[in-house]
Amino acid sequence: MNTLPGGWRIQRRVVGALMVRELVTRFGRENIGFLWMMVEPLLFAVLVGILWRFMKGPEEHGVSIIAFVASGYIPLTLFRNAVNRSVRVFSVNSSLMYHRQIKILDFIFVRFLIEMIGAMMAYLFIAILLGMLGEFPMPADLGALLMGWFLYCGFTFSLCLVLAPLSEMSDVLEKIMPVTTYIMIPFSGTFNMTSWLTPSAQRAMYYSPFVQGMELMRHGIFGDRINAQWNFGVPVAASMICMVIGLAMCRRVRRELVVE
Amino acid sequence: MIACEEITKCYPMGSGRKHVLKGLDFDIRPGEHVGFLGRNGAGKTTLIKLIGGVEMPTSGRIRRNMSVSWPLGFGGGFQGSLTGYDNARFIARIYGHEYREIRDFVEDFTELGPQLRMPVKTYSSGMRARLAFALSLAIEFDCYLIDEVIMVGDANFHKKCHYELFEKRGDRALVLASHSADLIREFCDRALVLHQGLGTLYSDVNEALDVYASL
Repeated sequence: MNTLPGGWRIQRRVVGALMVRELVTRFGRENIGFLWMMVEPLLFAVLVGILWRFMKGPEEHGVSIIAFVASGYIPLTLFRNAVNRSVRVFSVNSSLMYHRQIKILDFIFVRFLIEMIGAMMAYLFIAILLGMLGEFPMPADLGALLMGWFLYCGFTFSLCLVLAPLSEMSDVLEKIMPVTTYIMIPFSGTFNMTSWLTPSAQRAMYYSPFVQGMELMRHGIFGDRINAQWNFGVPVAASMICMVIGLAMCRRVRRELVVE
Repeated sequence: MIACEEITKCYPMGSGRKHVLKGLDFDIRPGEHVGFLGRNGAGKTTLIKLIGGVEMPTSGRIRRNMSVSWPLGFGGGFQGSLTGYDNARFIARIYGHEYREIRDFVEDFTELGPQLRMPVKTYSSGMRARLAFALSLAIEFDCYLIDEVIMVGDANFHKKCHYELFEKRGDRALVLASHSADLIREFCDRALVLHQGLGTLYSDVNEALDVYASL
């Protein structure tokens, strides 16, 4: 059982079972069931996009404003939901520690995976819907879009690995989380490209892993119609640092976790 | 075999720490029935949780060379908002068993009927115990960890447990934490008396019961 393929089989089984359990407890089996996981990002992106369309006109810097806002809002909701759902994830799921094949990293991973899949479904749905209305372009570079998406997701997940154990160690985190996720919106690249900013703001944005992922995604969608600037170094390095710290913290929390 | 090597467990208590277990060293051999005796708060449940891997020892090591059930106790191991069937399906999935076999056994053993379609949080403790026993018996472990819970059932449940656990699976190892002298005397080969964080293992169960009675 302890061989690598054996371990992989157990891991897949556990993640699958936890996914189903999480989906059933969160969304139930009534009406559209697990499809609810894409409804929230979908509504956010579409409604905020429409709001901006009426406030600021059909285009900004030469691209459809609805498409621009939607392409920013879906990653942002992914980040906010993933981070909020990792708060106290260990104590909430502690009864699962009764089964030794379930590890605490599985909780964080499964919750993140559900948010990620939901956001991707919402993205696809919006792109097709708006595309049919002529409001969303055919992605100029699908590879860049996916690469940017996974950089963004990778950093969000690494952050969850730190925040989940941190929320068990201190109750303060839970209270400052909403305001922090709100304050970081300007640093997430959601509503603007770096190239639209002043040079000093641009230098600051260079160090935001979110901005790098977002710029790459926007380049993937709009191509040469916008001036996107990105690098891989910042998001990859930031993710790796968070991951190392997070894994060490998770290990410590597991040792001291009290299960009823 | 399960080998417990110098295990200690502390919990934070106020500003200090509470030392529940202060260094226990013992083995549980295949097929052996070990009783855990101790007054309330002596650390029986904590020790069972450590053996089951639910919590981690503060120091020391536990090696498991046989499959060990999750602790069968009053709570734990279930998701209250899910139905009995959903919990069975979840357990079947994570242990890699065929759900239909598990379901058939659970229906037969628990006799809960339509109640299995209700959320587990609506169950009485006796009903929970039935479900927990049914699931762990259906998975088949080499060693069962039983924390007191055998006492909550009715006569019919006792009869079933007796048959499934002690007769059909008499070759399995068993850890039984209980305050019932009769239960320990009848079913255990050895007994561990826990007192003030230390444990003494007696090969003579009656001797252990005498020590326990004098605590």
